[in-house]
Amino acid sequence: MNATVRWLVRRLLLTVLVTAGAATVAFAGMRLTPGDPVRTLLGSPPTPELLRQVRHELGYDRPLLEQYGLFMGRLLRGDLGHSYQLQQPVARVIGDQLWATLELAAAGFLLAVTVATVLAVATAGRRPALRRLAVALELLAISTPSFWTGVLLLTFFAFRWQVFPVISGSGPQGLVLPAVALALSLVGVFAQVLREGLERALEEPFALTSRARGSGETAVRIRHALRHALIPMITLSGWCVGALLSGAVVIETIFSRQGLGRVMATAIAGRDLPVVTGVVVVSALAFSVINLAVDGLYRVVDPRLRGAAL
Amino acid sequence: MTGRRSLGVAAAAAMLALLAIAVVWPALLAPHAPDAVDPAAALAAPTSDHYFGTDELGRDVFSRVVHGARPSVAIGLGATAIAVVLGSLLGVLAAVGGRVVDEAVMRVADVFLAFPGLLLALLVVAILGPGTGNAMLAIGCSLTPGFVRLARGQALVVRDSDYVRAAITLGAPRPVIYLRHVLPNALPPLLVLAMVNVGTAIIAGSSLSFLGLGPKPPTPEWGAMLSEGRDFLEIAWAMAVFPGLALTVAVVSVNVVGRTLQRRFEGRLPHVGR
Amino acid sequence: MGLGRPLPSLALPAASLIAAAATACAPGGAAAGTADGHLVYATGLEPDCLDPQVSGLEVTALIDRSIFDSLVGMTPDGRFHPWLAERWTVSEDGRTYTFHLRSGVRFHDGTPLDAAAVKATLDHAVDPETKSRYAASLVRSYASAEVVAPRVVKVRLREPDASFLQALSTAHLGIQPTARLRGNAEALCGTPVGSGPFRFAGWTRGKQVVLTRNPGYSWGPGYAGHRGPAHLERLSIGFVPEGSVRLGALTAGQADMVDGVPTTNAASVRSSGRTRLLRADMPGAVFGIFLNGTRGVLADERVRTALMRAVDIDRLVESVYSGEYSRAWSPLSPATTGYSRATEGSWPYDPALSDRLLDQAGWTGRDSAGYRTKNGERLALRWPYMSKLMQDRRHVLAQGVQAHAKRVGIAVDLVNEDGGAMARDVLQGTMDLYSTSLARAEPDILRYYFARDRTPPKGGGNFFRLSDSRLDRLLRDAAATTDPAVRARHYAEVQDRLLRKALVVPLYVPVRLVGASTEVRGVRFDSHAYPLFYEARKGGGK
Repeated sequence: MNATVRWLVRRLLLTVLVTAGAATVAFAGMRLTPGDPVRTLLGSPPTPELLRQVRHELGYDRPLLEQYGLFMGRLLRGDLGHSYQLQQPVARVIGDQLWATLELAAAGFLLAVTVATVLAVATAGRRPALRRLAVALELLAISTPSFWTGVLLLTFFAFRWQVFPVISGSGPQGLVLPAVALALSLVGVFAQVLREGLERALEEPFALTSRARGSGETAVRIRHALRHALIPMITLSGWCVGALLSGAVVIETIFSRQGLGRVMATAIAGRDLPVVTGVVVVSALAFSVINLAVDGLYRVVDPRLRGAAL
Repeated sequence: MTGRRSLGVAAAAAMLALLAIAVVWPALLAPHAPDAVDPAAALAAPTSDHYFGTDELGRDVFSRVVHGARPSVAIGLGATAIAVVLGSLLGVLAAVGGRVVDEAVMRVADVFLAFPGLLLALLVVAILGPGTGNAMLAIGCSLTPGFVRLARGQALVVRDSDYVRAAITLGAPRPVIYLRHVLPNALPPLLVLAMVNVGTAIIAGSSLSFLGLGPKPPTPEWGAMLSEGRDFLEIAWAMAVFPGLALTVAVVSVNVVGRTLQRRFEGRLPHVGR
Repeated sequence: MGLGRPLPSLALPAASLIAAAATACAPGGAAAGTADGHLVYATGLEPDCLDPQVSGLEVTALIDRSIFDSLVGMTPDGRFHPWLAERWTVSEDGRTYTFHLRSGVRFHDGTPLDAAAVKATLDHAVDPETKSRYAASLVRSYASAEVVAPRVVKVRLREPDASFLQALSTAHLGIQPTARLRGNAEALCGTPVGSGPFRFAGWTRGKQVVLTRNPGYSWGPGYAGHRGPAHLERLSIGFVPEGSVRLGALTAGQADMVDGVPTTNAASVRSSGRTRLLRADMPGAVFGIFLNGTRGVLADERVRTALMRAVDIDRLVESVYSGEYSRAWSPLSPATTGYSRATEGSWPYDPALSDRLLDQAGWTGRDSAGYRTKNGERLALRWPYMSKLMQDRRHVLAQGVQAHAKRVGIAVDLVNEDGGAMARDVLQGTMDLYSTSLARAEPDILRYYFARDRTPPKGGGNFFRLSDSRLDRLLRDAAATTDPAVRARHYAEVQDRLLRKALVVPLYVPVRLVGASTEVRGVRFDSHAYPLFYEARKGGGK
């Protein structure tokens, strides 16, 4: 148990470090950029007095290091600052948009895992023709940019055939096309990892034993082998969070969906520093927490790891 | 099994050769200049003169697709090269630099890993401004952490190998050992990972372009062409369909060839670099 | 969302006469007031702030027009109508306006409209604390206001200003209740309270603003067909940045009206049995290229003229906008009072002339890329732009201009800049070319762009510090008189002079293209080409 506590403490510290580091990178990046954020913010050429006043209100007339200190201090207290452009607290902006992105990410992720599992169970180590086809399709999915599939899905299923609503966000139907577009960018990778895991697991003695006991092939796969095949999937969790959030930027833009990705893209273009750092902090935190949870899960699934410190 | 597979690989290799010609000498394939406008012939359907039709300024879409190969491939290759160089240097440094350096490099890599890839690239582009070179750098940065991890792991293995130990015992200066032995031996798996990453980098580059952050006009780029063409899907479908197709075919070919090489070089490596 | 009102571009407000092209708005005391449900309007940008005096965005004016009333109303024919002010007088010297307010008007929070609210609103607009992005510049002649009686307010101007009433008629000078203006800025931005036909009901960021009918409304503008409550019960304004998605939402019936219909799709919207295309030409400054005549290679008038004549604007505008927009001959939109017809056809496409002029100017060498050179230097012009401001396919048009300039040997360098870099360029006037448009129903817009005292550091749009005393005098005199004949003569000379000196290359007249379901009736456009929802109906009913 001692080892587990030490592991947990170390990982929690790491989470804080990574989040603070990410915030620092975002702060430095946006503040060291040539463009003047206050001018960007005010838009039409402001009078010098207005410029001075706003700069003072935002603390831009102080030394950079002091600004950084104030920024990190507020962050520690959970205060993400105030958006220049949306004129409201960043925490509220993120709170408002988080749900839409989570919904999209969760739907895309579940869809991708389901399809990948079906593909892997159906084709791992059998049905060579089908397997080849599946492998080819997976490669195609990996190689097709999601903005392209998104545009095609929208054109055919929403504009032309009107099977799904054009503007999403109105009920579960509106989620279908964006989720499919997002899932397509993940499914290829998932299916390959799962199939490889399955094929390895099926060579293990326990698979042979249960076959010998007369269980059907698919039953063996689902009941026994799949559990083992899922373990390598866990190592993908970091990549997966990144892919989901990156995908959200593109897909929310194409489908004109509300969400964190779109907010982030506009905030970067408009130099809305508080929003950019806010989204970065939240996504870094999400990334670290998910990794932590997954590693914890790993320790539960695979008891051998429990003795190790990390 | 090998017969059919090698057929696919051959097709992919042929596509890559074609792509290489388009990159190096586009005029050989393109019948028109990519920026020659002819408003009178705007939005034409594909014909024997304009294989892929024309866009809203009457520019030849086929020629633009051919010329568009260069920035797309340049961003893909350039970004990967940046990631390999930066990643291997930092990774080897972490492996041989002692506990403090190792910890520092790896925690920084963790920080960057925590940025979803495209967001980091967006941030870098926001800082440096749009353009081919900056897009390359942005995507290179977002790919680097994966290479740092792999390079460090490889370097650790090499560092503890017998011949490096022997070299140290023989009194060779450490920097020389690292440059002569550790780096070259850690490199092959990195190159394999690089190959699998080129496709990802090409897609990331065209995504930036699609969002309006790529090369400046009139340089044709597949992502930007697709973005412009999607308003015309009803009227001139060719404008958006062919750049997308070119992009997909190019990435599929890169991936097929990359994986074949990967399989040939060694058994299994991490599938997905970031 | 995005950059507040970025740079002086983003087509914007103000008055003049444009087609009320829309529907034949149910006229004649149709004050039946039967509510016909819920209208969904989809637009591209999201407002930054709904305080009409703060934000300068077009979409803010669109939404605020339904929430706020103005002192006077202006129709596209250039006439003013009573609204919150039932009558007004102007002093002999044109510097004092006295407004007599209508009685019985109540704000959505229940407080009555009085002269103090008018004074508070005007003071709010010009208060530096407000950080007004647009309203302050509209009423820059405003000096002070005085409450003469509970419903009489006297407004004093610093100088005679023929454009003042037009400024007051815009949504940006919608009247707010006094008590609210003393409150905090966030509430003014986020939960606006006016006296208009619709109340603010909610704002889901990234998605929509919802308004509901104000049942007690009985003070509609003088030009409207009725005075009572709006017909619609609910009005949702959804934010859908992608043009193709907006259009898809209309055809799929998810939206009743969408703006910014891509010109390529205009024909299909028009021909479909279920949708109609409404259009209104925007008044003010057309989309055009401003040439830096005060520094660099463009200081030579021959080079400026060469660029101007090298571009086949008819052809480019026709092909980029599928024949939906017309090319512009003057920097003023034909929908603006003061537009000079004499400009039409006065500077046709003539690349041979361009070549001659460039030869004369000494640009006789050619480099390997085919561009002209002089003393080994390439004839290159830097044209920075912000992609956000190049909506409406303007970046494609710019590439067309670039290609045509190349044919006569001029290299045009299109540079995509972010807001910070762009603002620096604009403030310092360091670019060769700059493109923008600005909607305002007033020819005084020309003063904003070309008068000596309207440089960007002073909040104007004279990007290149042009200093032409003849122009200055014409513009000043035109603004100081209300005599239409004098104004027309002065503005015609201004337009002629700008084109003759090749200081601006007008490209096309911006148009508002709105797609609407055939279910929607009674929408008209105001003098700034914004759709008005007050008289709109949807669905069954008569």
